[in-house]
Amino acid sequence: MIDAAASAPAIAAAVRTGKTRAREVVAGALERIAQRDRTLNAFTAVLREAALADADAIDRRVAAGEDPGPLAGVPFAAKNLFDVAGLTTLAGSRINADRPPATRDATAVARLRAAGAVLLGALNMDEYAYGFSTENTHYGPTRNPRDPSRMAGGSSGGSAAAVAGGLVPLALGTDTNGSIRVPAALCGVFGLKPTFGRVSRAGVVPLAWSFDHVGPFARDVAGLAAAFDAIAGPDPRDPACSTLPPARCSEALTRGIDGLRIAVAGGHFARLAADEALAAVGRVAAALGARREVSLPEVHRARAAAQVITAAEAGAFHLPSLRTRAADFDPMTRDRLLAAALLPAAAYVRAQRFRAWYRARVAEAFREVDVLLAPTTPWPAPAIGAPWTTRIGGMEVFTRGHLGVYTQPLSFIGLPVISVPIVAPPALPLGVQLIAAPFNEAALFRVAARLEGEGVVGSPATLPET
Amino acid sequence: MSEPARVDEADIERLAAHVGLTIPPGSRAAVAQHLAALLAAARVVDEFPLPETTEPVPRFEP
Repeated sequence: MIDAAASAPAIAAAVRTGKTRAREVVAGALERIAQRDRTLNAFTAVLREAALADADAIDRRVAAGEDPGPLAGVPFAAKNLFDVAGLTTLAGSRINADRPPATRDATAVARLRAAGAVLLGALNMDEYAYGFSTENTHYGPTRNPRDPSRMAGGSSGGSAAAVAGGLVPLALGTDTNGSIRVPAALCGVFGLKPTFGRVSRAGVVPLAWSFDHVGPFARDVAGLAAAFDAIAGPDPRDPACSTLPPARCSEALTRGIDGLRIAVAGGHFARLAADEALAAVGRVAAALGARREVSLPEVHRARAAAQVITAAEAGAFHLPSLRTRAADFDPMTRDRLLAAALLPAAAYVRAQRFRAWYRARVAEAFREVDVLLAPTTPWPAPAIGAPWTTRIGGMEVFTRGHLGVYTQPLSFIGLPVISVPIVAPPALPLGVQLIAAPFNEAALFRVAARLEGEGVVGSPATLPET
Repeated sequence: MSEPARVDEADIERLAAHVGLTIPPGSRAAVAQHLAALLAAARVVDEFPLPETTEPVPRFEP
């Protein structure tokens, strides 16, 4: 039975062995989108006819005895920051809606399709990926499937909501400062931000070249690993893509965690959070027997430097549109991008130099430990339209910006991170970050599989009423 | 959030002119506030005594 809760590997196995047809799987997902997305607003485009045609092609390959790929018949969708041939890449904006359709798929989209997955459509996001809430003024807010009055998180909010809401088992998103991990945590799904350079960004509209990452969302670890294995690897279309051959993470899931040194990140990662966010880390640490605490140096400066670099690069990239079409930007992003375009160059260069220093110090820490644990967000999903600021620990912080307080210092230096979900209704979901040294995604998958196997983390399909 | 630097609407207009930007009047106060926050973040970075030999090399190979 292929239903909303079916995982990507289960769907692929059923399609590959002829137990079910890809058309049935895709038609079921399209039906769920038609029913549930009126509430969630995760999709900005649904490719119904193309998806059914692609599914039929998979079924023909199975019938002909050909290999239809490891993700045969698995429905997926991509943040509308990714190029999809024949579709205009909105990037969450009204400005880009005036552009012609893309002529070629983004590499990650093309690789999932080559693996047999079927693209169902494009997903909502914060304009130009510059936000943590997906309260998009042009296309409406995406609602959290666990509680539709709450934010889905961002900027890949449509991706997380589509997976958490059972619309698709896999989705693609991007993460510069937390835009995969934050929505994954708030919606209660697994999200992977791979090592910088591990997955091609070709065909993806940039936010900040220095640390834009592409990665998958799923409701199970095996699905996340299967998607990562399909998209990881060198790509001459992306100048920052590593030429190192990728390790196959699906094969790491049964290796257990013996020999892995696991510790809890202290200091910055234990401050300015709601009690339940820290308790979630404690629960994961206890399940893994992780008693050691490691404090990384100068994490608050790393976050500040990430803010400066993101702003400087985004401000420079959008300067032509800011000069000619400022009124057409989303008010949620326009004033921040205008300010970003005014930053002095010395601030940017200083932040890049600090980044090199910080990367070296964190590399030293990873000689003593394999996986670090930290909260993904400081609190569960805020209400859509929540006040701009919130008081916590005696400080006034930005409600939306503070969602990235624990994710920004990690993507800043390209570390691979999986956000694992803790979903225990009626409480709202929370996420815990599993963090490793560059190119050690396999260690993260080993830990995530152990936690999922023991029932400590997981993403049950608590689906919205239609 | 960091202690904001002092940026006023006149600063914004002057800086914007140097990069060919026109800031909509209704946005000037908000842009000033956001730039102040970014400059405060830059100051947090600037206060750290980096060795002169530290180069901005974006290399992530293990």
